[in-house]
Amino acid sequence: MKIDRRSFLSFIIGGAAGTTLSPLPWKLMDDMSIWTQMWPWTPVPENGEVSYANSTCTLCPGGCGISVRLIDDRPVKIEGTEGHPVNDGGLCVMGLSGLQLLYGQSRVKGPMKRVGKRGEKNWEQISWDEAISMVAEKLDELRSDGESHTLSCISGSDQGTVPELFKRFLDAYGSVNFTRMPSIDDSYELVLKLMHGVEASAGFDVENTDFLLSFSSGILEGWGSPVRMFSANGSWKKSGGKVVQIDSRLSNTAAKADHWIPINPGNEVVLALGLAHVIIKDSLYNKEFITNYSYNFENWKRVVLNEYSPESVEKVTGINKTIIRALAKDFAGAKKPLAICGKGQGKNPGSTSEFMAVHALNALVGSINTDGGVWAVDNDKQNYIQWPDVKKDSVAESGAQRDRIDGAGTENYPYTRYLPNRFIENINSSNESLVKLLFVHGANPYYTLPDTHNVRKAFEKIPFIVSFSSYMDETALNADLILPNHAYLERYEDVPRTRSFNRPIIGLSKPIIEPQYNTRHSGDVIITKEKKMGGSIAAALSWENYEQCLQETLGDKWETLNENGFWVDETFKVPGWKNAFKTPTLKCDFSYNELFSLPHFCILGIKGDDPSYPLALIPYDSMRLANGFIGDPPFVIKTVEDTVLKGKDMFVDINPDTAKKYGLVEGSKVILKTPNGELKVRVHLFEGIFQNLVAAPRGLGHTGYDKYISGKGANVNELIGTFEDPASGHDAAWGIAAQLIKV
Amino acid sequence: MSQSEDKVSENSAEKKQPRQPGENEQGNGSSGPILLLFIVGLVISLIIGWVIFPKLLYSQKKQPIDFNHELHNQEVDEGCISCHFFREDGSFAGVPKNEQCAGCHEEVLGESTDEAILVEEYIAKDKEIPWLIYSKQPDCVFFSHAAHVKMAEMGCKTCHGPIGKSTSLKMYEENRISGYSRDIWGKNISGIKKNEWDRMKMNDCAACHKEAASAKASASKRSPQLFFDLLAMVFPDAGKPQKTEACFVCHK
Amino acid sequence: MGKHEKPKKYGMVINLDMCTGCGACMVACMAENNVPFKEDESDKLLSITWLRVYKLSNGKKFPDADICYLPRPCQHCGGKGDHGHSPCVSVCPATATDYSHETGIVSQIYTRCFGCRYCMAACPYHARYFNWWDPVWPKGMEKYLSPNVSPRMRGVVEKCSFCFHRYQLAMNKAYLEGRRELEEDEYQTACTQACPANAITFGDLSNPKHKVYELKKDPNAFRLLERLGTNPKVYYVSSREWVRRAGDNYLQHEETVKLN
Repeated sequence: MKIDRRSFLSFIIGGAAGTTLSPLPWKLMDDMSIWTQMWPWTPVPENGEVSYANSTCTLCPGGCGISVRLIDDRPVKIEGTEGHPVNDGGLCVMGLSGLQLLYGQSRVKGPMKRVGKRGEKNWEQISWDEAISMVAEKLDELRSDGESHTLSCISGSDQGTVPELFKRFLDAYGSVNFTRMPSIDDSYELVLKLMHGVEASAGFDVENTDFLLSFSSGILEGWGSPVRMFSANGSWKKSGGKVVQIDSRLSNTAAKADHWIPINPGNEVVLALGLAHVIIKDSLYNKEFITNYSYNFENWKRVVLNEYSPESVEKVTGINKTIIRALAKDFAGAKKPLAICGKGQGKNPGSTSEFMAVHALNALVGSINTDGGVWAVDNDKQNYIQWPDVKKDSVAESGAQRDRIDGAGTENYPYTRYLPNRFIENINSSNESLVKLLFVHGANPYYTLPDTHNVRKAFEKIPFIVSFSSYMDETALNADLILPNHAYLERYEDVPRTRSFNRPIIGLSKPIIEPQYNTRHSGDVIITKEKKMGGSIAAALSWENYEQCLQETLGDKWETLNENGFWVDETFKVPGWKNAFKTPTLKCDFSYNELFSLPHFCILGIKGDDPSYPLALIPYDSMRLANGFIGDPPFVIKTVEDTVLKGKDMFVDINPDTAKKYGLVEGSKVILKTPNGELKVRVHLFEGIFQNLVAAPRGLGHTGYDKYISGKGANVNELIGTFEDPASGHDAAWGIAAQLIKV
Repeated sequence: MSQSEDKVSENSAEKKQPRQPGENEQGNGSSGPILLLFIVGLVISLIIGWVIFPKLLYSQKKQPIDFNHELHNQEVDEGCISCHFFREDGSFAGVPKNEQCAGCHEEVLGESTDEAILVEEYIAKDKEIPWLIYSKQPDCVFFSHAAHVKMAEMGCKTCHGPIGKSTSLKMYEENRISGYSRDIWGKNISGIKKNEWDRMKMNDCAACHKEAASAKASASKRSPQLFFDLLAMVFPDAGKPQKTEACFVCHK
Repeated sequence: MGKHEKPKKYGMVINLDMCTGCGACMVACMAENNVPFKEDESDKLLSITWLRVYKLSNGKKFPDADICYLPRPCQHCGGKGDHGHSPCVSVCPATATDYSHETGIVSQIYTRCFGCRYCMAACPYHARYFNWWDPVWPKGMEKYLSPNVSPRMRGVVEKCSFCFHRYQLAMNKAYLEGRRELEEDEYQTACTQACPANAITFGDLSNPKHKVYELKKDPNAFRLLERLGTNPKVYYVSSREWVRRAGDNYLQHEETVKLN
């Protein structure tokens, strides 16, 4: 049989017919289409039983309650806890994207020792035993050399069991150099100490106020406890409460306020006293409070009346005197007025005179310890950490006698508690090596402290730095040893005192998931370390481990905390005026002593009167740019507008008129130069800013973390210096002289 | 086509050789192998399509433990939902977790080797059993068991077949291309189903829903489902004007 | 069966006076819906944000300048008379996007979409996003993905679904309890829930018991590009006239009109 072309074709046709009549092509097509719809590399999230676990967010001092949604044991989403006294279901961008931090690429996966130079990112993974021995050896060495005081600790907070453990360790070891990162808490604590004579934190009854006068405080930029402020802002809109924002830039707060009053930056204190002038002159103040509960009012009044007339205030602040008069009348006429201060998120303590002037304004209208006012929330009432005193050995005793490196609490700064800015300054200016060993916990000073240049220099002078960070932040990058803490969703920790909250509250951060990496709780590290050191140091802490320490310390609150994630003092009432003041006269002191009397009320200029710096640079805060000890996770950086960050370029806001003067258009590349340094940036033309002012966002220009945040934009702290408040020693810089150079 | 073919063949014949008598015979002679080859081609491709292809398409996977549904069904009070239960939030728990098995099987109760494997390999080691799920749907599918079982009061059998009466777990056949079980397409490679539960594709959902919707209207015919039936997948209650329900009902 | 339920019209009322522009809604949405991310998200045309908060400005000079934030989810247009002729649904050649008469929600089925992007061109709100790349979750990050929303692949369009999976799950619970109707708080979107300012209210626009029913009647309420007749289900409320005017394209001489 010969197979010719025709028969071959016939065979093929037969085959085609058969194939068509078989399921092969149809089934194959169907399967292929299913395959293309479900690429094997597209992840398929595992399903399971849904449950929620309550905890507390520790990404900022806001203390929000979080409910973590779990699928079986796997956390998939963080939500705000419904009914929580701080945030009632709401949550901010950071809190919502916490799982990206937990699982993210910037986690430190185990204890690491630096090899190569600092900051070179050359690390060697070591065991926990080795790591702790390394620190213990260093500690032994310093102690036997009689240099226990050269151990220092920079912490993000000084409250709660973990910071207390660090403090206690330093106590027993023989060092007084425990320092907290700066914030407006410093200034408010000081004001309450000076004017009320109490050790307390400032709480604001914002929910009940009907007239909020904000001196550049970014109530919608993250001031206080951000979510609480947002929700309060929403309730004012509903209830008809008024917000007046004094600000030199049209911030979100200013835009949402009922009135935005632009002010020449740095002159908030003058305006506050100008308003006081009108209130006193028109006799609009609260007579009952002033007559019965104030001291030194007459002296204060005299100066205010003499020096701060609306006319003279207008000259300094640039605010029309009729507006000043009207504002003063509105403020004093409101039922429950409240004035607050602390610029932006309140990262910088600011000047004491400003805080005292604003507090005095509240005092004038009687908004102190009343509904809708400022409350002094006594530290005693919220202190549940009752540990026995440390029994010090001779080394610890002699260490305790020494002055703090930052000078806080010394003659010059008698009531100030922490001065991280002076800490850096003094390390740099001293010929000796003041700090030989530094612990950094819950803080990222290398990035967040202003004047990065100086911080860098100070770090270089410290021979050994230990970071306890869970993430590869800038401080960890430049440390010698990293002892990574569990991430916040993996560990127990108490979170006392929500910033600006007006009742004693404790939050509990709970482990929602098993530790993902070879990390260890910093509390446990301290306890084991002390065990290793033996003697009086070990005796100072006899706990088995951190969890036992926490349970014992919290006592009967433990169960409530474990269940709800928070405990709030329901019995706490509006403090009122009676017995509220512990000053020598038992009254609210308008000018406590010579040091803080009025002649010292000065307007703090900014560094450099050099005419070659005709502009002023101010940093600004945004909810979408985290600038605390943790940088933006990917979701949050995604929300940053393209007029703030484009590619790797950061934008600074300038007024179109300023731009015209320099021949700049939207997006022009410029060099932003200050006496502290220079950065390449681009300009965004913004009508909501004073002429001759440049506003730069905080929170960009990271060098640590992962590629989703690192290398984007520039860190404005590189350009900003510190400016010491003569009264308190706090950093009061609100900006710096600057110039723009077109490129 | 045949005309032109003839033409071509005529032309070529002309070129090659002169016309000869008996060309009809020649044609007749060649039609034998042509037809034969057609049939051979047809048969081979049919064999490939119907027999070899299905064998190649599916890989055979054995379940980690051979589970006896019938035996367990006798032991429990509430039938299927004793183990395959609804959670409080309305979601369906599906295949039980170890925890449930451990309720009885903390220790070996009987003599079966499968039970021994369960206790020793999984329960003692606190490891979940990697069951292969015959009815597992693609990730884009949302199926509400509550709507069907609770609201429409359908029995498990309607979709899952009489699996509760089985004494042994059948082989899991995984489609090598799509990665899903053969039970989704149906045991029969043609896709033709004898029972309601033979197939679990979107068409099958659509067919049933359409039937339910037009149940009141007299003629409820189960003609082969056209693609556009899918679009006409109606909600049970959308009565008069047949408004289509959006795809989100069963997709996510 | 056979019982008739009233079709729902889920929608939102967003109070722009209360919105602070914090971005929590955007992130809540991304976290809820497995929205991918990439190294550089500063090109906003390529950045997938189902809900995007726009910054509006009144264009006036200092110090009369004013800004307002406007969160923009999918508007779930019902078209004229709510017949479901949404701009996107009308043009989709694949029936990958569809209008639900039961809930008033415009669905998007990723596996059905073949990426022609007609819908993106048709949508006047830029609410639709295209996956130019396969999403990549850095190692370990895939662990937080939610099983309720299926992750997308390269070449498909995605958009806000009013967290439809939450409706599905809420209905599951209702069915289990023998109900066919949901309470207002049983189905809320992730953005509504997360909004710290309580600016977003979500519910059935046609149900007088739901808060949105009254809120949408606010004299200061408006919808975006209302005159196009898309009949969106997202209402905005602003006490500032310039904001309401920014909601549509007006000629200079035209007065801001109120349609709804």
